[in-house]
Amino acid sequence: MTLHSSRPDARTDLLHGTLDMLILQTLQWGEQHGYAIGQTIRAQSSDVLQVEAGSLYPALQRLSKKGWVVSKWGQTEANQRAKFYRLTPEGKKQLLREESRWTELVNAISRVMKPATAPGADD
Amino acid sequence: MFDKDDFDEEVRAHLKIAADEKIANGADEKTARLASLKEFGNVTLTTDAARRVWSPWWLDALHDQWSDVRYAVRALAKNPVFALAVVSVLALGIGLNAAVFTMLKGIALSPIAGVDHAARLSVVFAETGNGRQLRLSYPDYQYLRDHDQAFSGLFGTSPFMPNLGRGRTSRQAWGELVSGNYFQTLGVRAERGRTLLPADEVAVGGHPVVVMSDSLWRRDFGADPDIVGKTIEINNFPLTVVGVADASFHGTTVVYDVEVYVPIMMAPQLGFSFGSQAKTPAGILADRRAAVFYPQGYLRPGTSSANAAAQLGALSSSLASERSLADADQQLRIVPFWRTPQGAPIIMLPMLAVLSAMGLFVLMIACGNIAGLVLVRGVSRSGEIALRLALGATRARIVRLLIVENLVLALPGALLGVLLAQQGIPVLVRYIETLAAPQRVYLNLGVDGLVIGFAVLVACGSAMVFGFVPALQSSRVDLVTIINQDAAPRGAARGRVRSGLVVAQVAVSLVLLVGAGLATRSVDAARRAYPGFDSTHVTAITVDVKQNAYDDARGRVFYRQLLDTARTDTGVESATLAAFMPLGFLDTASRRVAIEGYEPRRGEDLAFMSNTIGPDYFRTLRIDVRTGREFTVRDDDTVAPVAIVNETLAQRYWGGAAQAIGKRIRIGDTEWRTVVGVAADVKYARINESPRPYFYVPFLQSYRSAMTLHTRGSGSVDALVDRARARVAALDPDLPIVKARPMAESSRGAMMLFDLTATMLFIFGVAGMTLVAMGTYGLVSYTVKQRTHEIGIRLALGATRPSVVRNLLGRGLRLGAVGAALGVAAAFGAGRLLASASLLFGVSATDTGAFIRALTLVLGAVLIATLVPAWRAARTNPLQALRHQ
Repeated sequence: MTLHSSRPDARTDLLHGTLDMLILQTLQWGEQHGYAIGQTIRAQSSDVLQVEAGSLYPALQRLSKKGWVVSKWGQTEANQRAKFYRLTPEGKKQLLREESRWTELVNAISRVMKPATAPGADD
Repeated sequence: MFDKDDFDEEVRAHLKIAADEKIANGADEKTARLASLKEFGNVTLTTDAARRVWSPWWLDALHDQWSDVRYAVRALAKNPVFALAVVSVLALGIGLNAAVFTMLKGIALSPIAGVDHAARLSVVFAETGNGRQLRLSYPDYQYLRDHDQAFSGLFGTSPFMPNLGRGRTSRQAWGELVSGNYFQTLGVRAERGRTLLPADEVAVGGHPVVVMSDSLWRRDFGADPDIVGKTIEINNFPLTVVGVADASFHGTTVVYDVEVYVPIMMAPQLGFSFGSQAKTPAGILADRRAAVFYPQGYLRPGTSSANAAAQLGALSSSLASERSLADADQQLRIVPFWRTPQGAPIIMLPMLAVLSAMGLFVLMIACGNIAGLVLVRGVSRSGEIALRLALGATRARIVRLLIVENLVLALPGALLGVLLAQQGIPVLVRYIETLAAPQRVYLNLGVDGLVIGFAVLVACGSAMVFGFVPALQSSRVDLVTIINQDAAPRGAARGRVRSGLVVAQVAVSLVLLVGAGLATRSVDAARRAYPGFDSTHVTAITVDVKQNAYDDARGRVFYRQLLDTARTDTGVESATLAAFMPLGFLDTASRRVAIEGYEPRRGEDLAFMSNTIGPDYFRTLRIDVRTGREFTVRDDDTVAPVAIVNETLAQRYWGGAAQAIGKRIRIGDTEWRTVVGVAADVKYARINESPRPYFYVPFLQSYRSAMTLHTRGSGSVDALVDRARARVAALDPDLPIVKARPMAESSRGAMMLFDLTATMLFIFGVAGMTLVAMGTYGLVSYTVKQRTHEIGIRLALGATRPSVVRNLLGRGLRLGAVGAALGVAAAFGAGRLLASASLLFGVSATDTGAFIRALTLVLGAVLIATLVPAWRAARTNPLQALRHQ
């Protein structure tokens, strides 16, 4: 019997900022609880981005601390008690900021990787 | 801000939702729950990470440390033997170092009690071409004080030993003759009345006042509330008490407890002439050749000692033009307070340096032990460490945990060590007090915050440094090998480190023991060495007739009568008088001398120690008179002045004993004395001094109020002492006897440094050896435990028990041998160091006997420490050993 140490896999080791952005984005469509947020990200990214609970919940705490989300206990459709998170107006603004920064970053990288392609061609 | 219960509930909710989903997809409840848990990952870590979002980073670190500490305490409580071992070892090492540090502090860092920043005082002295260090005259001091720019205040103080009171109750004490700005510059206040002021330094003989110390006021005057205004007699001169100095102040003479402070203007009235030949009090203080003060003070802020030295250089030249030509070669020098010429700190310096080095050595051994212990602990906890790593701890975390454990041990170790030091220091002080008796001693040897801080720093430093590497090693745990109990490769590496530690400990211990051996042999040699005189069956009774207000005339009569009665006493062969006794450890005052027929070279400064003696001196002390004769009762002040010189003086300046007879020498500016005899050399101060010129003058031509009576006789020397005392008492029952003992006892002072060094080296050596034994024992036990399996196999396969023992013994002794080889090499160096510090006598730094004895002791300790676990190993039951996993 061997034991693995539970260090996060590189694939799911997202930068804090990027994870925050994904969560905020997910919440844009309405309030959700932690488990659902994780599932949504996973589904929407076609299983590429698998956010571990160990990253997700601290991230949610971080977002709460910064005032970008607020939480409250509620009931799921299956009448299960869960803690739901919701975007605040500040959170919305932050999301827009992050989104534009992310786009800028992605475009810049694209220009370096494929210099022959005209910008915006892969929109 | 972080609600843990809320979070726990959130996690539980997450797990339930996830499990429900899996159940909905067809899994059974149990599988679903397990899978959800597995997917979630480490709940504890997640909770922790969530909590950390809310706390500032330093609070996190603190929280971690605190849980480490709590864990460490619990773990140590489960293994009290280990904890106790480490704490005791540390306490020993720290205690010794704390004691040495306290002494250093008392002598160098804060040498003057009751004065802040005393260590920053600077002292000025005059240096002759020969390197002799002199006090400045009073006019020179005034000149400096008025013209100097470097000091913020320059005071002068001259220690003296006055008699307090008169008659039977009088006693000698320490005092200081001070300038008016003494108290002000030092910042010492009076707790009653006033201190001395510049106004007390105006007219010679015009300020009959005194300030007494708090201890004198309490001890001798019962803390009399009306003490101010009362009169006390000092050297039979009445002085009015104007104040009592602050209780924390004990004067600026390190080691001695100063009890009275008198204005310098009163010095001539109290009988002091500072070597001046002037006849009037004013003349003495105006004499530019008198040696009065070492001016001292604080340098102005911003003035470096280099600046000050340069300024003094300039002042030197202007002073030289005002002094007579013979003194023109003197230069003014400035040194920090601890280097005050002939001060206690500078005399004790070699010994303190050696003690510090030894303390550090013992600490090193102790740390080696601790490192070894930590290593072993690391091994026995490898399973636990593996688990922690599995749970997500980083190696850095593990290392931090182990180090915290060390610190948890280090602090009690430090405090215990300080306690040990606190117990040991009074013993040391009492030793110094007995040597200094009957003078009162005061050493600023308080164990204060500084010492505790030092101890804690050293302890934590040691714990960190010596716990760090083993901690690192221990954290390097490979889980696979641990679980499979395949400890061999790791064990070998750790075993090497541990062996290295033992080797180092053996080496250091050897150095200490060799040092101890050399020092002890020095003490023996010093005791047995022939100092040039024979003090067995000789008494030494010291009196000072000034204590009963005798004047010159009465004093001479007294001593004459004393000699007559003592000589005719039963059992007495001969009797004589002397001002000083040989082997007094400290040099007595040197006097400037002119030698007939010898022209001193430029910058050569002829000054020698001398003694004032009565008739029959050399016969009484069995000192050989090479040519010429002794002094007799006829050598009094009605005939021409005479002198006796020693062989070295005769040889060096006149070419030999025979040539010396009839030549003349002159002390200072007095009349020329004719040499009538040449005596063999004697050890005048220390047993290991090199031959030096010395001369004697007859008591009847050079009266002193304080003399020592020597009587030689058959029978018990104690009986002789009693009879001599009786003679003094018969002549004057009111005259206090300063000291009365066999002469041999008084040379103990010369041995003090050897004795002390030898004792301390021995203590340190034994401490080191104990630690080595512990370390070796631990190592071998550990090895045995590691190889229980292997030993069991060997026994089962038919190996005899003795062979197992021999095998283990060989291992231990091999370590001992390597350590010994290293230690011997280091000990050579250490021996040379001791020799250069003049702490060895009559034994070479490479004395074989000392080395052999030390080797035997250390290897013996290693042998025993190896034998015990080896013996136990040999009694292993092979079946049990084989079953051991």
